[in-house]
Amino acid sequence: MFKRVLVANRGEIAARVIRACRELSIETVAVYSEADRDAPWLSGATATVCLGPAKASLSYLDQDAVLQAADQTEARAIHPGYGFLSENAVFAARCAQQGIAFIGPTPASIRLMGDKLEAKRTMAAAGVPTIPGSLGALRSADEAAALAERVGYPVLLKAAAGGGGKGMRRCDDARALPRAFSEAALEAHHAFGDPRLYLEKFLEGGRHIEFQVLADTYGRAVHLGERDCSVQRHHQKLVEESPSPAIGAAASFGYVSAGTLEFLRDASGGLVFMEMNTRLQVEHPVTELCTGIDLVREQIGIAANRPLSMTQDGIRFSGHAIELRINAEDPDAGFAPDPGLVTAVSIPASPGGGVTVRWDGGVAAGWRVPPHYDSLVGKLIVHAADRPAAIAAAREALSALRLDGIKTTIPLHHRILDDPDFVAGTYDVSFLERKALAAVPRG
Amino acid sequence: MAKLTLEPIGTPRERALDETTYRAQRTHLEGLNAALRAKRDEVRAGWGPEYRARVEKKGKLSTWDRIERLKDAGSPVLSVGTLVNYGRVFGEERKSSPGAGVVTAFVRVEDRWVVAIANDNTVASGSWWPQTPEKIQRAQEIALRLRLPVVYLVDCSGLFLPEQAHTFPGREGAGAIFRMNALLSDAGVPQIAGVHGDCIAGGGYMPIISDVVYMTEQAYMVIAGAALVKGAKSSKITSLSIGGPDVHVHLSRCADHRVPDDDALLTSVRREVAKLPGSACAYYRYGAQAAPPRHAPEELDGLFPVDHRHAYDMREVLARLTDHSLFHEFAPATGPEMICGLARVSGLYAGFVANNLALTDHPVHGGVKRPGGILYRDGIAKVAQFSRACNDDGIPIVWLQDIAGFDIGPEAEKEGLLGYGSSLIYANSTNTVPMFTVLLRKASGAGYYAMAGLPYAPILQLATPLTRLAVMEGRTLAIGAFNSKLDDDFKIVAASEREAAEIAKGMEAVEARIARDMDPVLAASQRDVDEIVTPGELRLWVCSAIEMAYQAIGARRVKNPRIFSFHDLDRLIR
Repeated sequence: MFKRVLVANRGEIAARVIRACRELSIETVAVYSEADRDAPWLSGATATVCLGPAKASLSYLDQDAVLQAADQTEARAIHPGYGFLSENAVFAARCAQQGIAFIGPTPASIRLMGDKLEAKRTMAAAGVPTIPGSLGALRSADEAAALAERVGYPVLLKAAAGGGGKGMRRCDDARALPRAFSEAALEAHHAFGDPRLYLEKFLEGGRHIEFQVLADTYGRAVHLGERDCSVQRHHQKLVEESPSPAIGAAASFGYVSAGTLEFLRDASGGLVFMEMNTRLQVEHPVTELCTGIDLVREQIGIAANRPLSMTQDGIRFSGHAIELRINAEDPDAGFAPDPGLVTAVSIPASPGGGVTVRWDGGVAAGWRVPPHYDSLVGKLIVHAADRPAAIAAAREALSALRLDGIKTTIPLHHRILDDPDFVAGTYDVSFLERKALAAVPRG
Repeated sequence: MAKLTLEPIGTPRERALDETTYRAQRTHLEGLNAALRAKRDEVRAGWGPEYRARVEKKGKLSTWDRIERLKDAGSPVLSVGTLVNYGRVFGEERKSSPGAGVVTAFVRVEDRWVVAIANDNTVASGSWWPQTPEKIQRAQEIALRLRLPVVYLVDCSGLFLPEQAHTFPGREGAGAIFRMNALLSDAGVPQIAGVHGDCIAGGGYMPIISDVVYMTEQAYMVIAGAALVKGAKSSKITSLSIGGPDVHVHLSRCADHRVPDDDALLTSVRREVAKLPGSACAYYRYGAQAAPPRHAPEELDGLFPVDHRHAYDMREVLARLTDHSLFHEFAPATGPEMICGLARVSGLYAGFVANNLALTDHPVHGGVKRPGGILYRDGIAKVAQFSRACNDDGIPIVWLQDIAGFDIGPEAEKEGLLGYGSSLIYANSTNTVPMFTVLLRKASGAGYYAMAGLPYAPILQLATPLTRLAVMEGRTLAIGAFNSKLDDDFKIVAASEREAAEIAKGMEAVEARIARDMDPVLAASQRDVDEIVTPGELRLWVCSAIEMAYQAIGARRVKNPRIFSFHDLDRLIR
């Protein structure tokens, strides 16, 4: 096992990884930017290294600085957390070149799943249903139009190299298509240096379901159930159906480490593949509470070539978990970030009686949330016997949670938890917008 | 191979031998086989359960368990050099070194034959004894010549220091192992190393020259252990801290991958082997399939007479080694004291050369019979030509020796047996085709040389518990030594009864010494044979050897049977 792991991230996920390492008796090196100089999670690490200025491109995204830090502290492995360098194939490859274990999938897997078109083709080849549309890049607007006729409007044009909505256009009829095609190709070319487009049927509504998988370097893979992320921020439902195609698909291209396959569940209940995230997800604690499996510890073990510590048959799903992301944002002002000084923090404890309350946080009283990064300051995760019990426990925990000095998404979560449709379980990805519980910016 | 017809050979055992004789012979050999198996078990136990427990307590597997996990489930382990150092003790404490502290074996991994070289961690933590370097080099040499992948399972605490003078400096000293590593690499033979534990001093080169190196979490590789590092104690330096996976996998890059334990390492090594090209055997069978002999190979344990001076039918032996018991005999009418021919073994063509022990007709003097197991002119010429043709065609040769030596006397010299013998020696010395030699029973004099004995570099030389390997039989040597005291019929000529008794005693002593020398266990202990196998095991060994010879495609020329030179020779000699 590794003696020392460098944690190339910040905030709650840095704290989370540091905790897992401590439990495994592994020393940790926390890296930070000047803006995070006195950040609360740094005290948990064995050693700290300042990467550079606040700007992420000069600190957390600076590959040279991170690798240099690993070198000078003799850390033999790097956990990238999520975001930042976590899905950067070049960084993963540079780690391998320098003899540093990248705690995550292989560069090839990251690259494969990063190319949305390749990802879709790989999954289709493994027998996973994909959204109707093209499996290869479109050569012309005419080809796109012909295909659109076949699958039926509305359709989405997407950039093969895509992400972040760049090079994406929705077309509701044939007339809009030629123009959308040229615009999207141009935009994709500017954004990614790659104008290739593909086309998919646009599925309205539907629920966003994701499957957590874990795979070791010996070709063994397990799935750890599904998470429902239909409401922008998060609850989880457990379904007993086995998403075996998902495991088969991950195994088919030699996937290693933790990963998430995202699906859309249409009105008829069928699942279609959307994309695969080749990193630890923000919402991973939901799975951890329902299975009792520590995903971060497994990730570290897998990177040290340990075989998975569990088999599919040995995984038991129990109860229901809900995760609430607490962001330093004002939900009543278009989710405008609200960084600033945290004056008091009060974390609810587990009340017992079969209810678990977990706080994955990166804040402390007296610390100033910097404005430079994602506004997530912590996650409240609640686990109980079933969904109604989990919702009730979440309400209670949320009431006991105090983050004074900054505006947070806590009030919004109260509104969601009290919403009758949410309680009844009838919602989809457009829930927040429809209910006008908050002004959700689209983009 | 339309024109070279393989024909049935051998008879059912019931007809070949009467039941009483068969039983008696089998019982006799069973005694010898049991003694051999007991010796193997003794070696396999290493220094015993106490040392095995010590290994297991560290969370490691014993070496034999590692071999077991490395190989394909249910496949055999063909250990070579098992009895090296058997009966020898070293150092002031007179320590034994079972198997010279290293296991070298042919095993199947992912359907490919590989040579496994694994330090025995139950014998002085896998240290190197006298003959350990030689044993390892022998396995490496076999791998080099057959282009077989090598898997090293390293767990070695270095040289056994009290005997360093016998293992360090010489031509075959420990350093020559690394030279072999380099030559294997140069020849493109895949080498995969797993470091399971200690890997001290020069031992480090053995894994590092390998193409892929795995280390377990408790493995380390160091030029010198912490014991030799000044100030190691005060600065808390351990061998693991300076040479463990943390250093070698991530920093020095002397190793490639770290794995948690022995099990994971062996799984990983198997996966590396799976990436190599598969065996070419199926291709070289040219449509045929491997098939067992019609006559059971186990019956070989009852075919050999109790008295080594008695003859048996060599064709019955061949019938129990060849697929379907089919054989194409080459020039059967010439030099009938030798049997040469082609057969399929595991579906693959192999040449066999064996001694016919029966009385045969003298080629010139009508009505005169000559004993077999001796090299006469025509037989030598036939064997030389057969050996050359096999080499031309790329057919591996199996030599089955039961040979007393060359014919001697005025006729032999006049016919120029020295010259014919030289031709055969030349052919065998320059052959590049793989040769495997089995010393079925007698292996005496120049006959042992002429039939590709160890000095003629067969890939492998096997003995049986019946093997009698010496320059001549004890009786013959005693006659030579006491020649001046003997008459024409080798009867003692003495002035007094006392003198006669003394001469007889002297001759007996010589005979007894040679008998001891001829013990195959002694030969195996000093590496004059690679392994002793029971006759019943011979078919497995021959099959495996031939498969190994054909495994690496493109490494040597093997022709298709339509263009075998035998195809033409068959027309010319009949």
